[in-house]
Order: sequence, then structure tokens, then C-alpha cells
Amino acid sequence: MRAYVLSRLGQTVLVVALSLTAVFGLVRLSGDPVLFFMPMDIQAKDVNEFRQRLGFNDPLLVQYGRFVGGALRGDFGQSLRYRQSALGLVIERLPATLLLASTAVLLTLVVAVPLGVISAVRRNTAVDHAATVATVLGQAVPGFWLGLMLIYLFSVQLRWLPTGGRGGLAHLVMPSIVLAAFFAARVARLTRSAVLESLGEDYVLTARAKGLAETRVIAKHTLRNSAVPIVTLAGLEIGQLLGGAVITETVFAWPGLGRLTVQALLNRDFPVVLAAVFVISTTYTLINLAVDLLYGWLDPRVRLRA
Amino acid sequence: MRRSLSLALILLIAAGVVPAPAQDRARTKEVVVGLGAEPRTLIGVTIVDWTTNNMLEHMYDRLLDRDAKTLKPKPMLATGWKVINDTTWEFTLRRGVKFHNGEPFTAESVKATYEYMANPATKSHYWSASYWKPVTAVQVVDDATVRFVTEKPYPSLLDHASLTNFLVLPAKALREPGGVEKLQQNPVGTGPFKFVEWKRDERLVLERNPDYWQGPADASRVTFRFIPEFSARMAALLSGEIDIMKDVPPQAVEAIDKSGRAKVRSTVSSRINYLALVNLKPGPMQDVRVRRAMNHAVNVDELIAQVLKGRATRMCGPMAPTNVDFAPVECYKHDPARAQALFKEAGVDPTKLALTLDTPSGRYPLDKDVSQAIAAQLQRLGIKVNVVVNEWGTHLDKIKNRNTGDLFFLGWGPALYGQGTMDPLFRGDQTYSSYGNNKALEDKLARATTLVDAKARAAAYAELQKMVHDEAPWVFLWQQHDLYGVASQVEWSPRADEKVWMYEARVVAR
Repeated sequence: MRAYVLSRLGQTVLVVALSLTAVFGLVRLSGDPVLFFMPMDIQAKDVNEFRQRLGFNDPLLVQYGRFVGGALRGDFGQSLRYRQSALGLVIERLPATLLLASTAVLLTLVVAVPLGVISAVRRNTAVDHAATVATVLGQAVPGFWLGLMLIYLFSVQLRWLPTGGRGGLAHLVMPSIVLAAFFAARVARLTRSAVLESLGEDYVLTARAKGLAETRVIAKHTLRNSAVPIVTLAGLEIGQLLGGAVITETVFAWPGLGRLTVQALLNRDFPVVLAAVFVISTTYTLINLAVDLLYGWLDPRVRLRA
Repeated sequence: MRRSLSLALILLIAAGVVPAPAQDRARTKEVVVGLGAEPRTLIGVTIVDWTTNNMLEHMYDRLLDRDAKTLKPKPMLATGWKVINDTTWEFTLRRGVKFHNGEPFTAESVKATYEYMANPATKSHYWSASYWKPVTAVQVVDDATVRFVTEKPYPSLLDHASLTNFLVLPAKALREPGGVEKLQQNPVGTGPFKFVEWKRDERLVLERNPDYWQGPADASRVTFRFIPEFSARMAALLSGEIDIMKDVPPQAVEAIDKSGRAKVRSTVSSRINYLALVNLKPGPMQDVRVRRAMNHAVNVDELIAQVLKGRATRMCGPMAPTNVDFAPVECYKHDPARAQALFKEAGVDPTKLALTLDTPSGRYPLDKDVSQAIAAQLQRLGIKVNVVVNEWGTHLDKIKNRNTGDLFFLGWGPALYGQGTMDPLFRGDQTYSSYGNNKALEDKLARATTLVDAKARAAAYAELQKMVHDEAPWVFLWQQHDLYGVASQVEWSPRADEKVWMYEARVVAR
């Protein structure tokens, strides 16, 4: 078991290193970083002086070497735009993103799993059809549109909730709903089909034959056996929520990682982009590792093979 | 599922966990300004960026201000100035002004600010040829007198001194070990508001400076909130969370005016928009007759009326009246026949012309729509125009690398003095120019930028504007109108130079 975890951690390091290298190359294809944060009326020779001073005139390989050297010491350099530690800026945004993502995940699981189970158990009834419509809508409605509609209704018209920003619980309501909506729809669909599949299995028949109450059959025998795909999907989604809440964070002016990363990309603030990729890819692979370890707990057969 | 979600929301509200923020904002005289981005630094004279400096100038003062109407330099921290000789300028400084940390403002503060900026470690944008590099020394004459010495005659010095390009920093705090870092965290100026806190990507909070030398502001607090999405910013205005927002798009004006909670206030801006006719690469635009024909072919008045709903003011030459060096020139009339004749003279068959027009989207008011309308107008003469919409960064790269089509759309501003517009845009070797290789124009330009005498300078720029008009390097378009959304309880008028200064705001009632 320990060897397994260690080798997986080794893979994590490799994945992060490879993604950083790829992104390092890609951002440099996107264009000149220096012009962006210089005033437009600046003269060409002054721009060049800045480029020289910031090291952008060196050969790409030299720049890459410098980047790797720094990154190994945890130094991603200074943000070109803000002139502060790039990693510091990213770390600063992490709590806000974690808060939003975990609320959304909680909301997803609390709403979507029961919904999926109910749809499966009462399949082809009105409840199931209603749930199907809701989940299709949840997946189809774009996040920014849902966000703006909620803002219009609850902030502008009713004035119940703040339009955005971070603060108390009230600030968390709309962004987490928007973030959860899409994922909840997917989790509910998946739960429904996984539970449906288990319901047809012989052990369910056995459990019922033993005279177990239906709720117990569902909770103990069906749900646990359907858990593996649900956990897989949830794990992938948590990873996505951490780096991918861009639209929600922008619409709701949420001071998170996604908004910072996209701004950095648009402004060609390379050090911040790389620091963000480092943090996001590390978290993503670690969550995947955690999900894989969860399999063993959920399904003893996986443990035996390992 | 949607029902369960709204149910959860209603439960939350019913449980009283959610305060109604818009209603019980118990602030008394706080003004909240909604901006699209946060400041890039809190220390002055370091980074050239409108958004940053807009916030900074609430905490720091300029050396000189500009008159709100005429936009001409007027006293601020300096009470007067005089020209000692072609390369020496003397400023008399206001006495009795104190920084927020109690340090007195003197000639030493001006000198220390200059030295901080000139220090290579600062990497200040202002330490460049278009800003303060031409100044070789700042000399303290006495506590209230300071001299700027330049390498060559540099009349634009006065223009820079009266912008946010010289926000004065405290000398003692700056020169302490670690002083710069401290000032970045806790900015100290002489301005009407003092720094309270900066929450990254959320807000910058300032409080009134009761000892401000012009008298305390009406607003007790100014908060800048950073809301990147335009629609969300507008929602924040309509829900009463913010009091002022900049750059309301023309199509949203009605919604705001009808809301009963805010009004749109507009001003003619010093920011100009133009269609560049690129002569820096081979193509039809290298012929002056073709460029003139283009000016006759495009119907600028129609664009203003139809696309911008009247929210722009036509400009006939490269400068607008908000520019201190403006001189009037005659407009090119919309005249398709004249355009046809000029094309013919140049040996160009417009029906065989296929041009590419590069445009940004969302950078200037309705920029993409204007570009498409221009393409449609040129189509009437049989000219095929392919409009390419670029992401902003790509647009700048294309201009810089001379990779645009024969036409591109760009804005420029705040365009308040002649050199700042002419030098970077009509010399072939400049980053964002579209036109160049005109020796006569470049020589006259070089001369104009060294004329310290006001009359000679005015004459030189008048001649230059005539020359540029005749050369037709652009289709001259217009000055933008800046549209601000202002909450009903705040009295504030926008200015042409984009100085959004809450010292001038009055909070009427809550």
C-alpha cells in the first residue's frame, strides 16, 4: 500500500512538472508580455530596455532554466503586472476558491445524490420525469446567464442578496448555486443510472428476499455498490471547480483563483499563470490520488488487487 | 432540482442567516466606486495605468492640477511656475501642507519623489523618454522652491506635472531603510483621503483626511470595489451597492436612467477614436489620394448618429479641442463622388479593392460595431472590407508588428497635449504608429516638442495639424463621450480628462 502511494506521489510530481513545461512554452507563443503593462505612448527603445531588464531578451532555453531553478526553490518570480510574488498572489486567492468550491460540492452532493436515487427508484414516474427535465436544464443553461439572472432577480429586483464580492453567508449563496447547478445535474444523472443498474442485481433480490426494508436495501446494498462511479465523477469535478470556476468568480466578483488566472492569461502575466498552473495541477492530481484511495475503501476487490 | 435549490435559498433567507445588504447599508457618507480592475500598485510614480492612478490620486496630490473646464494647468501642490531658461523650470510650492504621516511637504519631497522614480531598481514606467527621463536633475532652492533641469528644452514637462505623472511622495518615509516596501503596503500622500485597507480583488477603502489643505471632503469614506463583469457592475449600481461606475455602454443608458436609482452623466472625453490608414507597409494606403478618398467615402456623421446614438463628438484633425495644443482644421466632407474621383486619379478601382480592417472588441464604445458599419459604408463604393475582430492583446501585437490590414481601429487618450498624441502616432518607428516616413512632418514635430514659448508652440502645432489633416493618415473619427452611472444620492459631474475624483462628490441623502 505504501509503495503504491509513493509511486503515485512520484507520478504527481511528474505530471506537475510536465504541465508547467507545456504551459511555459504555450504562454510564450501567445505574444509579447512586456507591451501589455507599458503605457501606450512609451518609446520603442524604452520598451526594449524593460524587456532586457526583465530577461525577456534572453534565449528561451535560458529563460526556462531560470524558471526551473526558481520553481525548485518555490520561487515563481514577480508578477509582471503587480510586481509582487506570483505564488503569493495565487496562494492569497486559494481560501476564497476553496470556500466556494467546497460549498458547491456540498450543495451538489446534498441535492444531486438523493435526487438521482429517487429518480432511479421511482423511474418513469412524474418525479423521475421532472428530475430529468431539471437535470437537462442544469446542464444546458450557461453559468454566466444563470448568474446574471439570479443577480437581476435577487439583488436588483428583490434586493435580498449582494450582487457579488466576498463577505458573509449571503455572498456565498448565488455563486455556489451557479457553480453547483451544472455539476449537480451531471451527478444526479450518473447516480440515477448507477443505482438503476445495481437495482437489477441478484444481491438486491437476495436482500429483498431476506425481508429487508426497502430503504435499507437502497441505502446499504444499492447505494454503496453504485458509489464508485459517483465518487470518480465527484473527484474530477472538485478538481475542475478549483481551477475552473472562472465564469462564476468573474460574474460574482469573487476574489478567487480562476479569476486571477484568467486575468493573468489575458494580461500575459506569465509568472502568475505558471504559479497558478502549479497550484491547480498539484491539487488536481492529489485529489485524483485521494479518489483512487477511496476506491479501496469502497470496494474491497480493489484493495485485494493492490 | 432547480426547485430544491431555490427552496434551500428561501430557507436560508427565512432563517435570517442572510442580511439584506443593500438595504441596511448603514454607511453615512460613504461613496462606493465600482471599477473593473484593482490597482497595480499603491505607490505613486511607478506604473502608468489609468485605473491605478485614478485610485492613487485620492491619496496623493499632483504637482499641478488641470482646470475642470479648460483643462489648462493650474496650481495644486505647486502654487506657480516660471521658466528660468529653456532647460530650467522653477516651481513655487505650497507651504503648510502635511503628509498623512505628519511629515511636512517641501521641496525635498519633490526631489525624493524624482529620485525614487529615477532609481533603476524602481523600474518605473515614468522613467522613460516620453515621461520624466528628459529631466536630468531636480534641485532644491529652498523649502518652498524647486527647479527641474532638462537635457533639452522640454515644454511637455508642464503637461506631465499637471497629470497623475507626478504624485508627490513623502521624502523621509521614502528614504528610510525598507521605506519603499512600507509605502507600498501603507501609502502616504498629501491627498484628501487616507489609506485604510486593500483587500485583493475585492476592495480598496480610504477615509477622509480631516486636515486636507483644500478643506475636508464631503464624503467620509471612499471605497473602490472591483467588479470585472460589466453587467454585474451595473447590477451593483442598480441595487445601490455602488454609487459610481465608468464606461456605461450606450445601449444600457436607458435602463439606468429609468431605474430611479441612478442616472447616466456624460461628458465629451479627451479620448479620441480613429481609423488608421496604414502607410507603413506596401499597399493602396501609401497613396495620399487614396487616404483622402477614404476620408470622403466614410460618413462619420452617420456613424455617430446611427451606431453611437449621438454619443460622440466629431473630430476633423488629429487633435480635439480638449487638447491644449488644438487648432481647428476643416472637416473632410462626406462626398462619394469626390472619393471616386480621387480613387480614379490614383489609378485605383475601388470595386477591385479588398481591404482588411482590424478592430478590438469592447475596448472602445461599440468599436466592433463601428468597424462593421464602416465596412458597410465602404461597400457602397464597391470596396470589399473584411473586418477582423481581435482580442485586445492580439490587436496591440498586430499593430506593433505591422501585421494589421490596411485599416485598423484604435483609440488614444487621455489626449491632453500635442506631443503625447503626435509623437507616438505619426513617426514610423513608434510602437503603435500606423503612419510615418514623412521627413518634413517629423522635423517639424521634433521642433515643436522643444518650443518653450507658448505662442511659438501654438503656431507650430497649428501648422502640424494642418499638415496631418492634408496627409490624411487616418479617417478622423471622434472624441468619445464618457458615460458614467451615478447613484441618485451622489452629486458629481464627470470631467473630460477622466479624472474621477471623489473629493468633488457630494453625498446628498441616504
